[in-house]
Amino acid sequence: MKPENAIQLTGVSKTFDGFRALVDADFTAKWGEVHALLGENGAGKSSLMNIAAGLYGPEGGSLFIDDNAVELKGPKQAARLGIGMVHQHFKLVTPFTVAENILLNLGHQLRSGWHRQRLRQVSDDIRAMAKKLGFHIDPDARISRLSIAEQQRVEIVKVLLAGAKVLILDEPTAVLTEDEAERLLTTVQGLAREGAAVILVTHKMNDVLRYADQVTIMRAGQTIARLKPDSVSVDELVKLTVGESAERSEPVMNAAEPGDALLSVRQLVSQVSDGHPPLNGVDLTLHRGEIYGIAGVGGNGQSELANVLMGLPEAVTGEVELIGEGSLSDLSALQRRQLGIASIPADRYGAALAGPLSIADNFALGDIHSGRYGPPWWLRQRAIENASDAAVLQFDVQGVRSQKQKAALLSGGNAQKLVIAREFSRPPNLVLAHSPSRGLDVKATLAVRERLKAARDQGAAVLLISEDLDEVLTLADRIGVMSAGRIVAEFSQPADRQAIGQAMVNHV
Amino acid sequence: MSEYAVKRPLLSYKFSLEIRQQMAWYWQAIILAASLLIGLLISGAILVAAGVPAGELLNEFVLYTLLDVQSLQSVIFQASPLILVGLAGCLAFRARFWNLGLEGQMIFGAIGATAITMWEVGHPAMRLPLMIIAALVCGLLWAVVPVLLRLKLGVNEIVSTLMLNYVAINFLLHLMYGAWKDPKDAFPYSPKYEAFELLPDVFGGLSLSIPLALVIAVVVFWFVSLSRAGLYLRFVDQSPRVARALGVPTARIILITVLFSGALAGLAGLMVAAGQEGRLTHSFYVGYGFSGILIAFLARNNPIAATCAALLIATLFVGGRSLQVFYQIPFAMVQLIQAVLVICVASSDFFIRHRIRRIQGGD
Repeated sequence: MKPENAIQLTGVSKTFDGFRALVDADFTAKWGEVHALLGENGAGKSSLMNIAAGLYGPEGGSLFIDDNAVELKGPKQAARLGIGMVHQHFKLVTPFTVAENILLNLGHQLRSGWHRQRLRQVSDDIRAMAKKLGFHIDPDARISRLSIAEQQRVEIVKVLLAGAKVLILDEPTAVLTEDEAERLLTTVQGLAREGAAVILVTHKMNDVLRYADQVTIMRAGQTIARLKPDSVSVDELVKLTVGESAERSEPVMNAAEPGDALLSVRQLVSQVSDGHPPLNGVDLTLHRGEIYGIAGVGGNGQSELANVLMGLPEAVTGEVELIGEGSLSDLSALQRRQLGIASIPADRYGAALAGPLSIADNFALGDIHSGRYGPPWWLRQRAIENASDAAVLQFDVQGVRSQKQKAALLSGGNAQKLVIAREFSRPPNLVLAHSPSRGLDVKATLAVRERLKAARDQGAAVLLISEDLDEVLTLADRIGVMSAGRIVAEFSQPADRQAIGQAMVNHV
Repeated sequence: MSEYAVKRPLLSYKFSLEIRQQMAWYWQAIILAASLLIGLLISGAILVAAGVPAGELLNEFVLYTLLDVQSLQSVIFQASPLILVGLAGCLAFRARFWNLGLEGQMIFGAIGATAITMWEVGHPAMRLPLMIIAALVCGLLWAVVPVLLRLKLGVNEIVSTLMLNYVAINFLLHLMYGAWKDPKDAFPYSPKYEAFELLPDVFGGLSLSIPLALVIAVVVFWFVSLSRAGLYLRFVDQSPRVARALGVPTARIILITVLFSGALAGLAGLMVAAGQEGRLTHSFYVGYGFSGILIAFLARNNPIAATCAALLIATLFVGGRSLQVFYQIPFAMVQLIQAVLVICVASSDFFIRHRIRRIQGGD
């Protein structure tokens, strides 16, 4: 008889640099179920699952697989025991192709042969698995060319091909569009019905309610409750997660009349030597006092558009003009910031924060040119730290023990708040936000959205690029749908969700 | 029901290893000092094996080298060019520019200074300042080509700077055996500098070079820690990709920093020529480039630590020389000791980056 429990953790504790990330946490997932692990950022979900996947060694507690106590010496051993984890920050070698990455991961499991043969075998496996999951994956594509959402699909295929029976997904739907998330979750639900155990680390109530058979709720490093999602209301779930009654979603609020045009984008076309240009003639106009949301399926040119607007390297032709200031094409990100352009990129530690540097250093860049922190030959460290302290308070960045602390030690939500604090250190005219609430918990998401709305209400133009349609619908005053490198349709609020969804998929 | 009869706790093994996010600076200093001590102990063992009586080691290095006024003077004397090449290394490495051309830049600095003496440029009172400027400019010029090649065309600076060393050495030999040969005795070195072309002595027999080197160490510290460029440099050093994304003027910062590095190496060349040798010779530069890299590495690119490391290396040089005289220990042994120290410090990195924890078994 097969044991009922797939994986069980009991009494697990873990400390990071004196911070108690896990305090006597318990978790049990059964075979054949989708088990959601719900909690805010920093509640300890990822730490607990990293222990289950053999990445961290706990300081106390036990792990059982199939009711047998095991000691994990590392992720490889966990993989051998059928535990596979898809991390929130992907573990892919970016200059390699999809097939090479997957070969790297499971090379030893394949029958021997020439590298080319093995690569071909893996490519076939990838295609088969992708087809089964309803993904479109080209095994020969380089990871660096893929969007974040596409990279995640590669990660999922990678873990499944390595033979995972206990599948741990850390915030899997954070980067997916609604359709994609639905398809993914239906697929993993199917895997569970076939007998696997699926653990869904998430803070999205909808995912829990619709797909999970069981939910374990964590708060402040402890497991608070374990229950069936259909036995409680959303409000109760939120209350358990947040610990106090938090507002779940805000009503669509429309701005006052939008003002003058501020940003004009004309005929942006990517310069590529072969294949399909990621940007294929983007036109849009952004006004003061409005939030313009760009919705769309991931990989339709959103990242490239964000790069162009934020001043990251991206070969394009076309015109980006800040009205009254002229063309932005030749300006660096720092110069753009001086014009009052605030950028909140999707890749927090790849494009916004230098993890190894201190919070004060990261903050200082926001308003370095004004002379507020001293002349070029003398940086007044005290002035920077005071300003950064004030901003940390104002923007509610938690977990800052000292301004000299490395930025990498902040949790996702707090890192994002720090980015916003820096970008808003001068009142912005134009805010560019790309997936600003990716991977954030309920509270942090609300806080980020409030900041965007406040900027809009103070007369800034806000461009929100997001693959989360709910986010766009909640925030945007006007919505453009991006598909195949162009804005294919525009909607004003109140927008028809169905029509937007149609526009998103019709042009793919 | 299972093949495992006994339920065992998750962990009964004794140690776990994890990546450490942050470590207090004093712990880093303690680990660094401990690793240096281990390196010195190993070096001592090697010297004993090579025939130096164990009891004499302490005498040689501590009593004769550091407590004897004359030896101490020669340590400090030896240290100033080392401090400068060390600082030059720190700067370039902070810009993630692997400047292996410190030696070439040093040679060119010395050639530039000597050119001023050969052509008798300027009034005698202005001669030394002009030589200093010439050394700075020539060292800088020898760094211009590789840094521009790297920034404009992506040419690997490791190769270009290393190759330019050979160009510099051969050009020096060309001068020494040709136009600049001392007409008095036809040996391959330049005519002796005039007295006013030498770095003068300041208080108590100390050459001007050491206060100059210390002032420059403070300037470098200011540049990397207190200036706006230093902030940018930290971004370029720690997260080049983020630096570019945030609009830090990466190319400009790398250019400035590397040129600064080259200029300091050039000045180190002047210190050897006008401070120690009193002329340009064809072999004065030997080993300085390597020592500069080593000092920067030992100091983790920290200018103040580099000054200390340079003093340590200078002690080794001076102590090594007396070992050579008294015990016929080859000078190569000094380089061996340097290498041992580097290996020890490099390994200490592991303890700074990782946390090793003893874990209570649950049995």
